[in-house]
Amino acid sequence: MYQLRAVDKKFPGVHALKAVDFEIRRGEIVGLVGENGAGKSTLMKVIYGAYQPDAGTISVDGKSVRFQNPRQAMEKGIGMVFQEQSLIPNLTVMENIFLGYEQQFVRLGVINWQAMSSAARQQLAKVKLDIDPATVTSALSFAQRQLVELAKVLTLEERVDGDLVILLDEPTSVLAEDEVKMLFTIVRDLTKRASFIFVSHRMDEVMELSDRIYVMKDGAVVDVVAHGAATVGQIQHKMVGRSVDREYYREQRQKPYDAANVLLEMDGIALPGRIRDISLTLHAGEVLCLVGTEGAGREAILRTIYGMRTPVSGTLKIKGNVIRTFNPQAAVAAGVGYVPRERKVEGIVAGMTVYENMTLSQMGRYSRAGVLNVAAEKALARDWIARLSIKAHSEYADCGNLSGGNQQKVVLSKWRSGGSDIMLLDHPTRGLDIGAKEDVYEMIRDMSDDGVGVILVADTLEEAIGLSHSIIVLKDGTIQQRFDCKPGAKPTLYDLLHFMI
Amino acid sequence: MDLQRLKPHFPWITLLVLVAFVGMTDPNFLRPANLLSLAGDIVPLFIMALGLTFAIYIGGIDLSAQSMANMITVVASAYLASLGLWVAALCVVLGFGLGLLSGFITTRLFVPSFISTLAVGGVCFSAAQWLSGNRALNMDADQRDALFGWMIGRTGIIPNELFIAAALLAVCLFIERRTTLGRALKAVGAGELAAAASGLNVTRYKMLAFAVSGALAAIAGLLFSVKLSGGAPTIANGFLLPAIVAVLVGGTPLTGGVGGVLNTAIGTMIVAVIRASMLYFGVQATQQQMVFGLVLIVAIALTIDRSKLRTVK
Amino acid sequence: MSQLLDRDRLIRWAPLLVLVGLVILFALVNPAFLSQRNFARIAIAAAPALMVAIGVTFIIIMGSIDLSMEGTVGLTAVLFCFIFLATGGTLATGGWLAIPAILLVGALIGLVNGLIHVRLRIPSFMASLALGFVGTGAAVLLTGGNIVKIEDDTFRALLTWRIAGFPLMVYVVAVLTLLASFIQSYTTLGRNFYAVGGGEELAHASGLNVRRVRILGFVLAGVFYAVAGILQVAKLGQAESVSGANFMFISITSVVVGGVALWGGIGGVWNTVVGVLIVNVINNGMVVIGLPDYLQDGMLGLLVIVAVVLSTDRRSVSFVK
Repeated sequence: MYQLRAVDKKFPGVHALKAVDFEIRRGEIVGLVGENGAGKSTLMKVIYGAYQPDAGTISVDGKSVRFQNPRQAMEKGIGMVFQEQSLIPNLTVMENIFLGYEQQFVRLGVINWQAMSSAARQQLAKVKLDIDPATVTSALSFAQRQLVELAKVLTLEERVDGDLVILLDEPTSVLAEDEVKMLFTIVRDLTKRASFIFVSHRMDEVMELSDRIYVMKDGAVVDVVAHGAATVGQIQHKMVGRSVDREYYREQRQKPYDAANVLLEMDGIALPGRIRDISLTLHAGEVLCLVGTEGAGREAILRTIYGMRTPVSGTLKIKGNVIRTFNPQAAVAAGVGYVPRERKVEGIVAGMTVYENMTLSQMGRYSRAGVLNVAAEKALARDWIARLSIKAHSEYADCGNLSGGNQQKVVLSKWRSGGSDIMLLDHPTRGLDIGAKEDVYEMIRDMSDDGVGVILVADTLEEAIGLSHSIIVLKDGTIQQRFDCKPGAKPTLYDLLHFMI
Repeated sequence: MDLQRLKPHFPWITLLVLVAFVGMTDPNFLRPANLLSLAGDIVPLFIMALGLTFAIYIGGIDLSAQSMANMITVVASAYLASLGLWVAALCVVLGFGLGLLSGFITTRLFVPSFISTLAVGGVCFSAAQWLSGNRALNMDADQRDALFGWMIGRTGIIPNELFIAAALLAVCLFIERRTTLGRALKAVGAGELAAAASGLNVTRYKMLAFAVSGALAAIAGLLFSVKLSGGAPTIANGFLLPAIVAVLVGGTPLTGGVGGVLNTAIGTMIVAVIRASMLYFGVQATQQQMVFGLVLIVAIALTIDRSKLRTVK
Repeated sequence: MSQLLDRDRLIRWAPLLVLVGLVILFALVNPAFLSQRNFARIAIAAAPALMVAIGVTFIIIMGSIDLSMEGTVGLTAVLFCFIFLATGGTLATGGWLAIPAILLVGALIGLVNGLIHVRLRIPSFMASLALGFVGTGAAVLLTGGNIVKIEDDTFRALLTWRIAGFPLMVYVVAVLTLLASFIQSYTTLGRNFYAVGGGEELAHASGLNVRRVRILGFVLAGVFYAVAGILQVAKLGQAESVSGANFMFISITSVVVGGVALWGGIGGVWNTVVGVLIVNVINNGMVVIGLPDYLQDGMLGLLVIVAVVLSTDRRSVSFVK
């Protein structure tokens, strides 16, 4: 009923979609997998009307259509449940559900809250969520918000004649195991009302839920796999174009770390909230991966080391010194560098040049009595632009205008040039294309060679396994298990998953 | 594309066009002596705007500047006799300290700067009333001329105030472009979270921005009291909004991180030229404020660089 | 969890607690503060200020700011007098026409304000500040700097006719406050202010016409400023170009003190009512307890800071500008 034929989409310098054929039938759940940069998100944007294809046709029930914007797509029954929360936090649940469509509840200019509330209840019943529609959205849990988003999209059912297609973008990324199960039950149940396109990094979930799986690589659909017709490994092979190989993660460059040189020690650290009893050790040249679901405490541990959070108990030792004051200035002075997950918000300052960004954390080294030595700053920037082949027209380029990969290189060189020997990397490859990812992996190995200790929160489990010397699995704020990851003797996905959920 | 490249230059192009426009109506306007005295007259306003630039540059606002200047005119007049030249130091330290207090209330107590600086301004106003006994104070003319006469004389045809303004502008420009403080303030204005995640002591730098603003407002007050040879708790009223306007017209938007002190110099001149032009165009006194507002809307519409504003609030 | 709820609730009610605390404080120092006459005095002082503050509340909920109130109040007050005098000089003979006319003028000023802000893409701070100059300037132009008086007893009844000790204008303001609260809670427009303030881009993505909501917000604010203009005339029996003086800073201060967040989306009309009362109780209380004149501005500033500090949830804001 919904079809794409030979859809093509180009951006300056990138051929994002190459003659993609895609089809979804009534009541079907279709999985969509591929690495970051494979074209998944572009394809989704074409489907829900945010992008217009350069070539090819889109048809609904055999009739050719063209969407100028998401609203037009919604009028044809195509809705999107966003990965990032798209509910407005200060509004009530029912207001969010009917935002932009309140008119149906207005009589003589007055909103009939009772009518909206009961209509909202009907929508919430579809997703089996029993909450008061007048609850303010910010008071809900992530899982509840996810279901509210789903309920919001399902209002299309009443507004649109014909079939619904609903896109679910990484719906499980912030959910716990039982919540995922519940979501899947609901989605299966809803196939009476709608077809679903399910996009996720969690391969096992895609395989469990989907009737068919579209595998994308480099902007093309490389295969369509029926339910149960392939193993996780086989699909991954298709995604990467080779088995998730050791070379991709530069495993051949993984050397044993210096076990005698302890850079950082956490002992029995507890934070306000669920995180407690965190003990770990980082050695020179080690890549230590923190693995767990969203909210398991990975980011909180990084932020504690960086001094952005203060523990309530336990000790943190950096190079033998017990840390007593927790703030980023002290952490930076102790040689800690932090590559945050929200690159555009916390990583770089858009509106500042490459050289200004690179010295932001180490202005003391490029100034005397508060006066900057700009010539030295520029020289530093030129040096690192050349070393990491950062694609910027010069050291004067505005960091906000660089591509994600190049921004990340600027952030990394900021810390590397400052001599940080404890690096905290939070999703350093998030949103990067494959080439840029491999550059980051190279840099991580370079750091290990230089005796830098790295604590990594990886984008995928494969990445974590491929890159690390050791892995610590977290769940609900506590350490579950520690794995050694010597090349050739690495734990499998299932070893880790077993302890994660 | 070319328009994009031109955008950062809109403020001074606007200024040149305005000057040329007024000059065409009355060539007398363009006489150097006239332009110079016009410039000399606005120096206190300029210094206040210069300070405000720092507060606005980090995305805040300093509404205490006017009350600060008011209070300083009183302080300067009251203590000139006893402290002599040291009264200048007292004024600057007071301004800096009270600015620091605004900064503290804003950053540590999480009170928006709109409110915190207004409140500190109220404290300044109370202090000025108390110190002056709600009267206008006068400076001893001889002592003023002996100690601060250099501020307000002329060198050739150039008013001495202009040298002070130029010196302060140079210092501020140096701070903005060449010091860690300036760089940090830019980072805070353009991306506070990233600045914090780079290990900058954001709180300290923000407090310093308000302190610099306070110190410059104090210098403006000092100059004003020397010019008028006295002080009173409301003597500088009517300066605040024009000073804010000067910063904004110059191209430092309230969102922070863009613009700077040079923009403010141009913005102040734009404001001055618009005001002065009314004389040349024969705008009645009763019409002036309305015309000022209308021209201002046009000037702002022309000068602000919207590409730097993500959403317009 | 219950502890968290209590904390949330405490912060939500903090402005009201501050208000009660202030009343008790002033009453302890001078019991005359609690007299009915004094309450009436506070109410009269607060009435026009509340209308201005409610107007700007809608704008602040959207995450914008409006600084045009001084010009708008001044201009509408002056124009009201002119129209009132031109249509007979008394309510009975046709002067009442001035009321709808001025509300319309207020709406028009707001419309212009909104259009400059939205269409020319000028941040509201600058657009409304400049338009405020235009408004005050127009009032100066109309009056030539003179005072316009109205001496109609029927109209002045707003101030002179008292029911249960409070003048009529207080009841008018009470009704209009209820209306504002109704707009806020029961109309699409009112709810859309919150959507824009809570997440402009998300609201836009949901198909909301954000520009239209913004413009209508300024129109609504303009109408409330016009009401304030009329009440100023009723209170003072005259209008001049500076009839709106001092409303700008004090109204925004009141709104923030009441617990409306300057970054938008949080708070509402009732917060503003409490905020305006806090500011007016402080002003009145300082006089009643005999605090020297010269200390009052400083004291107001300090108490405002204390009030804002007490009602800010420091955990929910990462930084403040």
